Amino acid sequence: MPDQMKLDDSDRYNLMLALTGLLVQGDEYSLEELSKRFEVSKEEIVKAVKNIGYLDMAHFENPDRYVVDYDALDEGYVRISYNLENVVEDVPRLSSRQASALAAGLVYLSSLPGLAENEEIQELQTILSSGDSRGKTPEVIVQPGSKDADLLIIRQAIKLGRTITCDYLNLKGEMRIGRVIEPIRIDLRGELIYLKGWCPENADVRSFRVDRMRNATLTEHPISDEALAAELDDEVYHPAETDTLVTIDVDPEAYSLMVDFRPVEEPQTITPHVKRFKILVGDVRNLGRIIAKFGGTARILEPETAKVAVREFALKAIGELQPSAPEDAE
Amino acid sequence: MSEKVSGTVKVSKPERLFNLTCALLYTRNGLTKNEILRSVPGYENEYSDTGDNSSLERKFERDKASLLHNGIQLEVSIPAHEDENNQATVYSIKRESFYWPKNIQFTPRQMALLNLAAEAWVGGSLSTAASRGITKLRAMGAIGEDSDIVGIAPRIQASDPSFRDLNNAISDRLVVNFDYRNPKTGEILTRTLQPWLLQKVAGQWLVMGYDELRQEPRNFMLRRIVSKVTTVKPSKNFSAPNLEQVAAAVAELDALAAKQTAKIRVSRDSEAWFRYELDLQGNASSDEVTIHYHDLYVLAEELREYAGEIKVLKPEALIHLVRAGFEKVANDHA
Repeated sequence: MPDQMKLDDSDRYNLMLALTGLLVQGDEYSLEELSKRFEVSKEEIVKAVKNIGYLDMAHFENPDRYVVDYDALDEGYVRISYNLENVVEDVPRLSSRQASALAAGLVYLSSLPGLAENEEIQELQTILSSGDSRGKTPEVIVQPGSKDADLLIIRQAIKLGRTITCDYLNLKGEMRIGRVIEPIRIDLRGELIYLKGWCPENADVRSFRVDRMRNATLTEHPISDEALAAELDDEVYHPAETDTLVTIDVDPEAYSLMVDFRPVEEPQTITPHVKRFKILVGDVRNLGRIIAKFGGTARILEPETAKVAVREFALKAIGELQPSAPEDAE
Repeated sequence: MSEKVSGTVKVSKPERLFNLTCALLYTRNGLTKNEILRSVPGYENEYSDTGDNSSLERKFERDKASLLHNGIQLEVSIPAHEDENNQATVYSIKRESFYWPKNIQFTPRQMALLNLAAEAWVGGSLSTAASRGITKLRAMGAIGEDSDIVGIAPRIQASDPSFRDLNNAISDRLVVNFDYRNPKTGEILTRTLQPWLLQKVAGQWLVMGYDELRQEPRNFMLRRIVSKVTTVKPSKNFSAPNLEQVAAAVAELDALAAKQTAKIRVSRDSEAWFRYELDLQGNASSDEVTIHYHDLYVLAEELREYAGEIKVLKPEALIHLVRAGFEKVANDHA
């Protein structure tokens, strides 16, 4: 079942236009079909159809209406007879923002090898821009990330419902050869691509970074019932009870940390620029690289163990990056 | 019929917008504001022949903006004999600009791709736009199902606080101000921009536009905007850039990355060794890698992640930048 959108007034207006554009073509649809097609509840469809029927053009010396078949509607079918000319007779165009949001999304999808050929994406972009009411320049562009050859195998495995084996470099920097993964879903997250898969070894769903994966190979084994039944969410990391609560200040340059790690409560505004938030961390030692990379725009306030981890990471990096003579040398 | 409230008919906002759209599509010669307020359901029930209609007029102005944001182009004209009389301004919607060109059909596969593209946006102004756009496309025939397109969950984040305001200013072609931090000096300057386009390049959101201070097209990284984005007062419209101008500015950005290179040495079999794909065939003969970059500061950030596994060889500025960042971090966490 697709997610059903929560609609606001503008969404409802938009739905009325789209529905009218579809229904004036004369076909009958069940409420189920329309609810599925537009991914909104049946109640929203009924409301929109009724509102379309209320349209009153009498002031414009047009006695006609979109005639809704209310008996059919009660039985779960939508049919309007159309004797209203020169009003909404077809599907309206997109706004520039709507067209470019869809076009940019398509380009982003092209990071997945084998999903869509460039020509296919371009053809769709051409159609979208022909349906853009201003038809001028795009409002937004997303450049695709780099393609990864292992993804072709992973996609095939998902389609066929089979397991894969691969070599995987884990977070500790250890290479595991021939690891078995039961692939469920490919998650594109900005520049990174993860494979959500069932890990038989841990009997749990895990996120694997595709760029740390090598030699993915399709096996003959179908994925297990556990994998099929696994519930997926959008999180890459799941906090545990043993996690440490860490407080961090960020400048705008490091606000992305608040998106990458779900803060446990609403971030506070400290100065007009600086925000403060708290996250749960499994192992504070991992914070070294995460915080130090920002080069000063992200700062840990507490606990002390986390500050030490970051400080040591930075000091070690300076030593290793520049193994020159110490300052007090002759 | 619509809900009756103390003798008058209560018309919801979506219904009013729909009525307005239909009236403007139907009219042959256009309608004046007064004609609209007196006759379109949603206004006419509140219209007073003798009293003050100013709140109704404001409602009409907001509704005009709603139509525009939904991609509906209003024709606004003043009849020749009614020179400069704003009461005589007439509004209409041209049918040619309202409907899709004829005979456009999407295949189920194309619809499945478009659905996935719309799903990619998480939160924010573009997520709303994509979902309204896809609602219209869903009325155009095929239902999107394709067995090839399963098990994929794309997500594009546009979480910078300035994103929505910039996006709105681009749609409305309004000049904006914001405070921007220079990554080199840390200095904050107020910039005035005619924003053209939001662009995600190498993981970073940029706004491209005509910089009124520098008098040329410029790019600004959203994460370096340290204030609210505000439209200049009194509000000032700019004329839309043409496609060539935008294409040239985008190409210039690509050319920059082609021209700017850094060289690093990577420890064998480390994580960085994987990240820079030195293990892959054709790369394995050397432990050095050349990286093209758009922005030295973003690259320094990326390289700091792999401290201990890499050594920056050039440019000199990058070596210093990586080190200075670590020194600041060490101080901040002392």
